[in-house]
Amino acid sequence: MALDKLTGENSLLFIRSEQLLDLARKNSLFYLSFGIACCAIEGLMSAGGPRFDYDRFGIFHRGSPRQSDVMIVAGTVNRKMAPVVKRLYDQMPEPKWVIAMGACACTGGPFREYPNVIMGVDKVVPVDIWVPGCPPRPESMQYAFMQLQDKIASKTQERLDAR
Amino acid sequence: MPASATEDILRSASVAHEAGSEALGTVMRIGPGDVRAALGALAAGGFDQLVDMFATDTGEAIEVTYHLRALAKLESLFIKTTVAYDGAIESVWEVYPAALYPEREAAELLGISFPGHPNPKRLLTVEGTEPLLRKSIAIRGPEEVQFS
Amino acid sequence: MSEPRLDVHAQPGPCWSVPKGLRRVPKGLDELATEHLVLNMGPQHPSTHGVLHVLLELDGEEVQAAEASVGYLHRGIEKLAESRKYHQVGTLLDRSDYLAGLHTEAAFAMATERLAEIEVPRKAEWIRALTMELCRLASHYVWAGTYGMDAGAMAPFLYIMRDREMILDILEAITGGRMMFNYIRPGGVFADLPAGIDQPIRAFLSTFETYLAEMDALLGGNEIFQARMHGVGVISRETAMAFGLAGGTLRASGVDFDVRRDMPYAAYPELDFDVPVATGGDCWDRYVVRIEEMRQAARMIRQLVDGMPEGDFTAKVPKVLRPPAGEMYAAVESPRGELGIHIVSDGSATPYRMRVRSPAYYNLAICDEALAGSLIADAVVILGSLDIVLGEIDR
Repeated sequence: MALDKLTGENSLLFIRSEQLLDLARKNSLFYLSFGIACCAIEGLMSAGGPRFDYDRFGIFHRGSPRQSDVMIVAGTVNRKMAPVVKRLYDQMPEPKWVIAMGACACTGGPFREYPNVIMGVDKVVPVDIWVPGCPPRPESMQYAFMQLQDKIASKTQERLDAR
Repeated sequence: MPASATEDILRSASVAHEAGSEALGTVMRIGPGDVRAALGALAAGGFDQLVDMFATDTGEAIEVTYHLRALAKLESLFIKTTVAYDGAIESVWEVYPAALYPEREAAELLGISFPGHPNPKRLLTVEGTEPLLRKSIAIRGPEEVQFS
Repeated sequence: MSEPRLDVHAQPGPCWSVPKGLRRVPKGLDELATEHLVLNMGPQHPSTHGVLHVLLELDGEEVQAAEASVGYLHRGIEKLAESRKYHQVGTLLDRSDYLAGLHTEAAFAMATERLAEIEVPRKAEWIRALTMELCRLASHYVWAGTYGMDAGAMAPFLYIMRDREMILDILEAITGGRMMFNYIRPGGVFADLPAGIDQPIRAFLSTFETYLAEMDALLGGNEIFQARMHGVGVISRETAMAFGLAGGTLRASGVDFDVRRDMPYAAYPELDFDVPVATGGDCWDRYVVRIEEMRQAARMIRQLVDGMPEGDFTAKVPKVLRPPAGEMYAAVESPRGELGIHIVSDGSATPYRMRVRSPAYYNLAICDEALAGSLIADAVVILGSLDIVLGEIDR
């Protein structure tokens, strides 16, 4: 029993090492370059550009979901796109996080009245950070990543429990 | 070319038409069965560009509009035809390949069909979606879109 | 049409070629039984400029047939416009072609004004032309950067982002937004130009030519880039006309048509500019045509800033606009081509039907033909050269 407390799952040694790994993970978040709509120009391209610069946070874009930690859902998700988003989310390896960027990904946005639009990507994948705006400024996206980094560092136990 | 020359083209293709000059420009109204013949004659008569093709739900029927242009003279022409709900108009893709995509879109969003189209699949929506641009299909109301 | 105005067809092809010996198929492999592979390119793909899904039927590396599947961004802009007042439709149209929001707004405003017979004051026309040319530069910058990324060049993207931020600062000072401007309304524009706005514009113009030459040298001066563009994705003049292409794609195939010059609107009748036309119809021609368009846009911006008139920035329009019943079509030259809005009005405060004639929609239809027979690497480059924005294709 005592040994279990030390080395078993959710134990002292193990949780500390997972926290250490999370500290490393948060400083090197690779996002999937997956721009659905207008928000992609601001939050993926402009925010990664020279003025706003994601790279100083360690954030970089990857082309394949198999190599990324974060999926930024930037744009409206509709009935045709939803299975694609879900499949991409499933293809990402653990641990993974989702940022719902923009009004459309949060709640359907200006297009929520149209029957073809899904009112928020959280109906398709679990979301960690919601970023309001239409489109959110690149500084908002950087703040979102800073919030995500805080969440990763402080919520290790919850993430392990939810697995 | 003046409206009369366009009418001559249509007359030579024996297409019954109703000419009009509205704020929009020169508008010719023809029957749905004559569309292929009329557009073929107009393409041969100098209207080499199909600028746009779309359909509108007028409440009683579907009105399809073809916006043609003779690029050399910068002359615009609107051909309008009315077809019943779930009706059919022969595809004009052989005359104007530009019509390939708009016909698929009009077919799925308004529920009409274009026999003769080489690829009559849905363009914008998934299988099972209702014809969204019809006036009978309503958008979500305020209760449905309330953030809860 | 008339002779091409500027001959931008550049120097001939690559300086290297695959030696003949390497093309021989090894003994025994030519009788191998093969089958075609259907590959999904997109909707998530670093190079499809949005959620475009292209189904490629491949024989090895060669594309036998291609089919584009769109609709992943179909958000119902046309349907939702039927329940918005005329002043509110601009917010929807900003999101249709999100790289050229001002052009879409302007087309709608022009159609409404022609229908309701509103006369726009001269200063508003000049402000519209100024902001639209700045937006055209911003859009072409994004196109050039992502085109380079498609071909594998990462650096030009960061260079254009630097320049684009300067333009977005100016547009933010004028309109209040970086991408969703909501500035050009029926009757004129939303607010007057801020005092002293010519300072940042002139500062931008003073460095523009050097920065553009730098980026052009990185991209267009690169041998590998040239080898990938020359002779790739040739679209003949007849095909371009038959498929209703527009914009730089049409002009690169030899058709001399530009809405700004041939169906003038805003301040363009008073401006002095050239329309670049090329005759080859391949990706290289589309590239040089757009780079030259950027230079012409800078030329126009200088004239607009130097000659900006005094006056009202908008006509007096009622808060709730009720144009008379009827239809109207108005077109502008967006960075992608002829962008037209067709309004059907029934006399009420909301449009009865609004149709967006989007140039990228018609430009994309050619990809089924243009991609067949190319290699996968060429397919990516051809799609990039068409300059598509999925927002206006799917609406």
